[in-house]
Amino acid sequence: MKRWLYNPVLASSLKTRMRGWRAAAAVTAYLGVMLFIAYIFFQINLQSYMSISSGRSVGLRVYLMLAILQFALILLITPAQTAGVISSEREMQTLDLLLCTKMSPFSIIIGKLLSSLAFILLLIISSIPLFSLVFLFGGIAPEDIAMLFLFYIITAFAVGSIGIFYSVLFKRTVVSTVVSYITIFFLGIVSVILGVYLMSIHYSQIPRPSDYYVPLIFYINPAIGLSDLLFRQAGVTAPNAYYGILAWLFGVGLGSGSPQGWFQSLPLWIANSVVMSGIAVLLLCASTWLIRPYKRLGRKS
Amino acid sequence: MLVVRDLVKKYGNFIAVDHLNMEVERGQIFGFIGPNGAGKTTTMKIIATLLAPTSGRVTVDGIDVFKEPIKAREKIGYMPDFFGVYDNLKVMEYLDFYGSAYGVEYRERRRIAEELLELVDLSDKKDAYVDTLSRGMKQRLCLARCLIHNPELLILDEPASGMDPRARAEIKAILKELKRMGKTILISSHILPEMAEICDSVGIIDRGRLVVQGSVEQIMQRMTGRIVVRIRVLRDMDRAISLLKEQPMVTGVVEEDQELEVACNGSEEDLWQLLRVLVSSDVPVVSFRQMEGNLEQIFMEVTSDEEMAL
Repeated sequence: MKRWLYNPVLASSLKTRMRGWRAAAAVTAYLGVMLFIAYIFFQINLQSYMSISSGRSVGLRVYLMLAILQFALILLITPAQTAGVISSEREMQTLDLLLCTKMSPFSIIIGKLLSSLAFILLLIISSIPLFSLVFLFGGIAPEDIAMLFLFYIITAFAVGSIGIFYSVLFKRTVVSTVVSYITIFFLGIVSVILGVYLMSIHYSQIPRPSDYYVPLIFYINPAIGLSDLLFRQAGVTAPNAYYGILAWLFGVGLGSGSPQGWFQSLPLWIANSVVMSGIAVLLLCASTWLIRPYKRLGRKS
Repeated sequence: MLVVRDLVKKYGNFIAVDHLNMEVERGQIFGFIGPNGAGKTTTMKIIATLLAPTSGRVTVDGIDVFKEPIKAREKIGYMPDFFGVYDNLKVMEYLDFYGSAYGVEYRERRRIAEELLELVDLSDKKDAYVDTLSRGMKQRLCLARCLIHNPELLILDEPASGMDPRARAEIKAILKELKRMGKTILISSHILPEMAEICDSVGIIDRGRLVVQGSVEQIMQRMTGRIVVRIRVLRDMDRAISLLKEQPMVTGVVEEDQELEVACNGSEEDLWQLLRVLVSSDVPVVSFRQMEGNLEQIFMEVTSDEEMAL
């Protein structure tokens, strides 16, 4: 491997992570949970829908269920994988030893992130056979699944960066893990409530809404991106499908205007991915800055 | 090899290192002695490029460690005062990991790792998990780790702390071997007699200031202005005492365990005069030996803090 591509932290983490029975048990448990829920879902749907629905409809429902389930598992697993990577180095007293090598703080952070993402990627790839069940029924193309997996990876990158940032910020792994989950909870649920509240305020001021309004806070919620992606794949073609569902669910007015500017014209899941990736990059830069030894360089002479 | 000039490190109003100056010659073992909280670890972390100073300059082999930290790290092997080992790595993998982090090529680092394991007597443990090693073995492994990139300067923070006498002796033997290999070693410890035995020079640090620096003998003379000799006589102890007290260079005579402990100012020439006086007066001297430096006593005098942990 070319030297500039070789990251010792990544190489070592990959080796130790896959050592022993734990990694295999984690993958087995992960697939076991997905398989169990998929089986229950199949049982219910095959009995109640098979006679009256087309195969495509069942296929789509199975796909949506698996997609949302896998997404939830990724949101649950990624913070646990990343929120301790730097704080545990501090706890094991190995961070100083790493920082006084020739590795840059950035390559240490990237090595840690990539090794965590590699494990998430392994889980995602191992779920491909499960997703291929969908093809039995039709209605979903392989490129849809590829797009979904791409979104998973972007989400894992963003959530992983949050975990890494907290593991740099907090000395103890327990604290950084808890704060990471609180942040994910905020992003996933509180941001929706806040976004809907902003929408209702926006539209309450305009009796006959004609503009296209997406609260900024929706762009940082990966669940909103996923919903948009899934709605598109399910054939709901409105540019603001998720927003429409929210409007319907929470009783706020439905914006009927057109998107303004190039950013609003982007599909919501892509705009969401761009914003999340941007935040992730910022968090990684901040993490790098925080662990470098000379951050408080204030030499007077 | 190592030059520290006017080094200052402040944490708010607290001054951890106060205008510290020191020099360590190439190939020397320099002992860094001081009570807990005196600034030893802070100084060592600054030299190891892990901490930015408030002001001052540190050069290692002519390289400014603040301006060119990456280049300086090639020259420095740092061993902190804790183990810092990954428990899920094997001994060989542990060394290989740090070798790769220092950018040493695969074949080269495998070769060096084998040699180092032999040096620290862990060759038979190379496939053992690090967390199965004893405390002394872990300490030796850490020493091997800081040598993996073949540094010229070793910074060892309390390498013998918490070790049993046997493990301490092993570390001491390794340090002597490293000195023979031409390594420059900066070592901190509070086990003073050991420092006197293995160090070429010693610096005593107290409240962030280097109070005294030099060879053990120089420090002894400079700080107390005296040489201590132990004299054993067969008989005529009282006559020997009165004769000794008459000599101008003698500052004190204490009778202890059938021997006389004589403190005197001056050089070895004066010691010879002292012996000649005794022998020419027919005092039956059977033993006359200069005492090893009692560094601990000097350390207490210099640092003058009675509550410090030794």
